[in-house]
Amino acid sequence: MIRTQGLRKIYRMGNVEVKALDGVDIQIGKGEFVGIMGPSGSGKSTLLHMLGLLDTPTSGKIFIDGTEVEKLTDYEKTMFRLYKLGYVFQDYALVPELTVMENVALPAMLRADRTEQQYKAATVDILSRIGLCDRRTHLQGELSGGQQQRVAVARAIVNKPDILFADEPCANLDTENSRMVLNLFKEINREMQQTIVMVSHEEWHREYFDRVIRLRDGKIVNGEK
Amino acid sequence: MGKKELKVAFFLAWRSLVRGNRSSLFLNVLIISMVFTNMIFFPALMNGIGVDITKRVVDYQISNILIEPKKGNDYITDLGATLGLINGLPGIERATPHYTLGATLKFRGRVLGSTISAIQPREEKYVSPLSTKMIAGSYLGDTDEGEVILGTGVAGSPNVLEADEYSPSLGGVRVGNAITIEYVNGFKKEYRVKGIFSTGVFELDNQIFTTWGDMEGVTGAKDRASYITVKVKPGYSDQAVKTQLLQYGVMEKVQTSLDVLDKSLGQNLASFSIIGFISLIVSLVIAVVVLFIVIMIKTLNNRRQIGILKAIGVDRTVIMNSYGFQVIIISIAGILMGFVFTGLLVLYMTYYPMVTPQFSATPYVTFTDLAVNGLILFIASVIAGYLPAWKVARENIQDVMRG
Repeated sequence: MIRTQGLRKIYRMGNVEVKALDGVDIQIGKGEFVGIMGPSGSGKSTLLHMLGLLDTPTSGKIFIDGTEVEKLTDYEKTMFRLYKLGYVFQDYALVPELTVMENVALPAMLRADRTEQQYKAATVDILSRIGLCDRRTHLQGELSGGQQQRVAVARAIVNKPDILFADEPCANLDTENSRMVLNLFKEINREMQQTIVMVSHEEWHREYFDRVIRLRDGKIVNGEK
Repeated sequence: MGKKELKVAFFLAWRSLVRGNRSSLFLNVLIISMVFTNMIFFPALMNGIGVDITKRVVDYQISNILIEPKKGNDYITDLGATLGLINGLPGIERATPHYTLGATLKFRGRVLGSTISAIQPREEKYVSPLSTKMIAGSYLGDTDEGEVILGTGVAGSPNVLEADEYSPSLGGVRVGNAITIEYVNGFKKEYRVKGIFSTGVFELDNQIFTTWGDMEGVTGAKDRASYITVKVKPGYSDQAVKTQLLQYGVMEKVQTSLDVLDKSLGQNLASFSIIGFISLIVSLVIAVVVLFIVIMIKTLNNRRQIGILKAIGVDRTVIMNSYGFQVIIISIAGILMGFVFTGLLVLYMTYYPMVTPQFSATPYVTFTDLAVNGLILFIASVIAGYLPAWKVARENIQDVMRG
């Protein structure tokens, strides 16, 4: 499903070159729930952003479902993200002026293959699954952190993406809410065969992952089951 | 960009406005409305002054067409035949003659140099509203002899010292008083003041009128005039009537009111237009800068959110259009509010015009002015709003997500 070859990302900070990724080769299969772990500055988020087409590598190749995504134009990448990928961010990243229902429905509204009835039904369905249907008319400011992150998860999967990317989704949550979100991921992963790639720095999250890709100084230390 | 994308862009814009900061929205709309009001009001006031001056000159001094003696002559001769010819032509409401003669007025120790105008009172009613402007006494009759009517400027006031007067006067003449007039031809006569008028036109309120017959007695000359004013019937153009007069053999100097105004007031009216245009440009620059700053701040504050939207698959044109729609809605609301403010100001100044000795100014606004200025402001606003949104929406996702 995902394959990278010699992925490199070099940032320039004045005259100093910082190798955020230094020749990363990975493969992630369909239906896997993969954790990307490592210490701060190891390149976890950078790798996730490369895989999620949110950033471009300095060199190397990324294949998703056989498509070499780096060759796509800006617009094609946007459409690729809309149709094939879902994202959950550390700080929820909801639109504050939209209700829960509207936030979740937003990516589906833009899809050419969804009618209004279809995306509304899909939104209600996903909100029911995460237990927030009764909060669908609430605004972001009226929700707890855990609820906001569950809404973000619902938004990420409303389009039934091929791959769900999560960048430290539990970083701002307490243990109880973190477990709630991780259980939700696991449930989606099992029931919908959803491929999930998640960045985490919490060792106890390992129990949820099928596999962990561990990074240090921009290089893979090991890929373990 | 498809219908669906536009719908989502509008949806995001609308939600941002109605659920965002209300006071900020109101202030933005208020700024646009004030700019629109300023764009319309000041040029309209300048326009109104121009229109008022033009109307006064046409109503009281030259009417629609002014006929003066041809080059080299002091008077229009063969007046009866000329008037007969003109009044018989289609499109002519009435042609009426005027005879002017310099004189010195004397009243209770005051001496004032002036020009006495002789009119045919009944005929004059067809071309000038002077007869309706009497504030004391009455208007002249065709057969009156030894009587004059004069403007408030000449009459003056007994309560104002001579040294404090805006223009010299006779110091408080009243109806029934006798004044002595010494004409430049040496003829001296005592006149009774039959009436006093006030037109609000400085030049006219400093004039004195007597009857045609009386003046003939003073000059001894008949069948001649200093100039003729011609009132054109509604629906006829001044230019067409002028052409017709020349075609029918009027040999004097024929000018439309526009011809005369171009020469006498053209410079003033052009200056008013320039001032109005400068005001328009300044207003427009203010609108563009304000909207640019407002949307720039909004997009900078929302940089991360713009990055998130791009990340979840919202195309940058949708994001740009959502800001564009916000500006469109703010502009339309501001322009509509500006319509209301302008309407109220015009209404107020219609009842309470700005009055000076030279003019009485009421803003002169046409629907075309409103539509054109509204459109200019709208286009300027949309450009000013789109630019920052376009700039931010084009940035790399990672850059904007970092905020």
